[in-house]
Amino acid sequence: MDASFLKGIRVIALTWVWAGPWMGAVLADMGAEVIKIETNQRIDAQRIGKTYKGDRRDLNRAQFNITNRGIKSCTLNLKHSEGVEIFKQLVKVSDVVITNFAPRVLPNLGLDYTALTEVKPNIILVSLPAFGSTGPDKDYVSYAHTIEAAGGFNASFGYPGGEPILSGTYPADPIGSMYGVVGMIGALYYRDETGKGQHVDIAQNEGVTALVPEITMEYVMNGRIRRPMGNRDEIKAPHGCYPCKGEDKWVAIAVATDTEWKSLCRVMGNPDWSIDDKFLDQFSRWQNQDELNRLISGWTKNFTHYEVMHMLQRVGVSAGPSFNVEEVINDPHIKKRGAFIEQKHPIAGKTTVYRSPWKSALTASNPPAPCIGEHNDYIFKELLGMTDSKIVELIDQEVIY
Amino acid sequence: MFYKILKGIKVLEFGNLVSAPFCSKILADLGAEVIKIEKPCCGDDARRQAPFLEDVPSTEHSGLFLYLNMNKLGITLNPETTTGKKIFRNLLNEADIFVENNFPKRMKQLEFTYKYIRQINPRIIMTSITPFGQTGPYKNYKGCELVNTHMGGVGYISTRDGDASIEPIKYPAHILSFQAGLSAAAVTLGAFYHRKLSGSGANLDLSEQESIIQNLNSATAIWSYVNQIVSREDVMELAPAHILPCKDGYICLTFREEHQWQRFIEVMGHPDWTDNELFKDMWTRAQYWDALKPLILQWTMEHTVEEIYRSSQERGIPVGAVRNAEQVLNDKQLESKEFFIEIEHQVAGKLQYPGVPYTFSEIQRVNPLPAPLLGQHNEEIYCKRMGYTKRDLTKLKEAGVI
Repeated sequence: MDASFLKGIRVIALTWVWAGPWMGAVLADMGAEVIKIETNQRIDAQRIGKTYKGDRRDLNRAQFNITNRGIKSCTLNLKHSEGVEIFKQLVKVSDVVITNFAPRVLPNLGLDYTALTEVKPNIILVSLPAFGSTGPDKDYVSYAHTIEAAGGFNASFGYPGGEPILSGTYPADPIGSMYGVVGMIGALYYRDETGKGQHVDIAQNEGVTALVPEITMEYVMNGRIRRPMGNRDEIKAPHGCYPCKGEDKWVAIAVATDTEWKSLCRVMGNPDWSIDDKFLDQFSRWQNQDELNRLISGWTKNFTHYEVMHMLQRVGVSAGPSFNVEEVINDPHIKKRGAFIEQKHPIAGKTTVYRSPWKSALTASNPPAPCIGEHNDYIFKELLGMTDSKIVELIDQEVIY
Repeated sequence: MFYKILKGIKVLEFGNLVSAPFCSKILADLGAEVIKIEKPCCGDDARRQAPFLEDVPSTEHSGLFLYLNMNKLGITLNPETTTGKKIFRNLLNEADIFVENNFPKRMKQLEFTYKYIRQINPRIIMTSITPFGQTGPYKNYKGCELVNTHMGGVGYISTRDGDASIEPIKYPAHILSFQAGLSAAAVTLGAFYHRKLSGSGANLDLSEQESIIQNLNSATAIWSYVNQIVSREDVMELAPAHILPCKDGYICLTFREEHQWQRFIEVMGHPDWTDNELFKDMWTRAQYWDALKPLILQWTMEHTVEEIYRSSQERGIPVGAVRNAEQVLNDKQLESKEFFIEIEHQVAGKLQYPGVPYTFSEIQRVNPLPAPLLGQHNEEIYCKRMGYTKRDLTKLKEAGVI
């Protein structure tokens, strides 16, 4: 791809699992060159995750191939002092270092921000730790589950009147990734204007809190904790998920105005119950939503979720199926949008990945996720100018490892 | 702003509710000047979304609106009128970035599609965020947080150990719409950065549904490689990996390595049942979770969130505290990061708001400005910058242009 947004920007990625790698993949979609530093000493958990095809010894398992597509990989053992020196040489010819390792990792390797600036004064470091790189909890051990909990998400998530539950998709990671992209480009812009680099630190827990401000403001403004509400809304009704034909098939319907309500009623054939006082205006519908939901379910269960969506959207009512992943991938609109791309991974074979969530004239089309160390030659020979014999030596010493 | 990076950069926002306003908030937070266009009668619909200050719904009382629109200049404008369109074109001419989240058919009807706008301003970055994107059979379908969440595949798999006989649910508030606005800001910045070198504008087509798909990492992987469809009924494969009640709240136990569980056993005082063969590794513990859960609860119900959280984390055990809003606001970690900020608003007064989750080491953070009152900057923009007189303003208002 000749022209792309971040063409010419080189990013070194000390990343693993999800938040860091996905940031790298998104940057690669924008045309940046992203080089992931890996090591056989400590293999990215997603490379050895439980979902894979083919040979169980292959280090290209499912999740890794989706999270790391488009980037390059080299193996470099940073526990070895020579490995650290080589890393610094790479930093010298790069613009950005990104990481989602715990805050103590880079300093322990002698590669904290100060050390990086000694190698390249205007280097940009973007870190995505769980709680930030400073503060009393900075070294706490966390996974996406515990980060979303700390961010206030779960206390407000669940069925009405129910207990807090885990999200199931753990969005703290991809939220952190996108903030990482925002911070990085902000820093690049600032660098180009002033010549200065910096350390941009994204706290993943804060990313979650920043995306559910209603939870904070409910307490700040009214001293109230926002309880789990399921599919319900503060004032709109009907606003929920209704059972359709088939097993575990549901359609989401949200009515915001009296006009939309009347349209819904018309589509339902103006059943007698729909003109009951209980449902005539928004307030009454909201008050009587339990009964309303039961009655609507009586109608939706006669149709497929697709049928309900099309019938209601045609009359300007917001409705759509609760798709499972297969339905999303096979949906005609999604197919038209090209949201998913089928790649052919050299080791794992057919791999369905999703592109970054935008379409533009300038999107880099990227190769499948790399094999571990796949780009060693390119990085050590081309970028760093090492000789073949030097490389052999380093492999022997388990520096390139 | 929070960080003065995008100095002199002008953003025009023609947005409503969450996705576009959050995208332009992020640009405003980084120092861009954002002019937000609102409809004259009643402004952005977010003004009518809870929570409301002291539970009094009013144009300047929405916590959601106040948060989303801090740091912006607010004007009222009706682009359906000829004069309104003229003013709009004027504003587009001056803008570096244009962010909007209207139905594609509305933008077409207004003649404000990229095709037209680039003729006014070839260098403009136009970012459109809609529930389903600018193309495809659903492009003019009506979306909303509820419907987008479910059509994006997230509703179906929200949580585990669930029950498929009851409905799948959405996430709290508007989190996924916010995520779409955040994704839009990321690519907008990319396009804007590129423009410095290339001089060219760009048209960015964001779909909220596609942004939601970002969260389907695991589900896509499992479907693609082993042809299984993840469902909220799936049992957690490892255990513990659950939220559990304790004496005064809830904690989250997520153990992925055996030594973490072993250490936690010590925190619990090594009760006898932990020696049971049934619980010997994360997989058997998952298999026998129904037996294991009540045993763990016996202990957790005797201890507070803080006790369990701190004593576990001190030993490097990944236990999480399920924090509610009060606890998040009082959290020492967030306090040390100065995450929450106080802003004084003309009508809403002094309130705490979430700040930004990033810090820039070499740039001084500054306090953000409050969200605009409806039409607050009409005079600034229309009179000072466009040369209308105050009398013009009155007439424009009377005529329903602003």
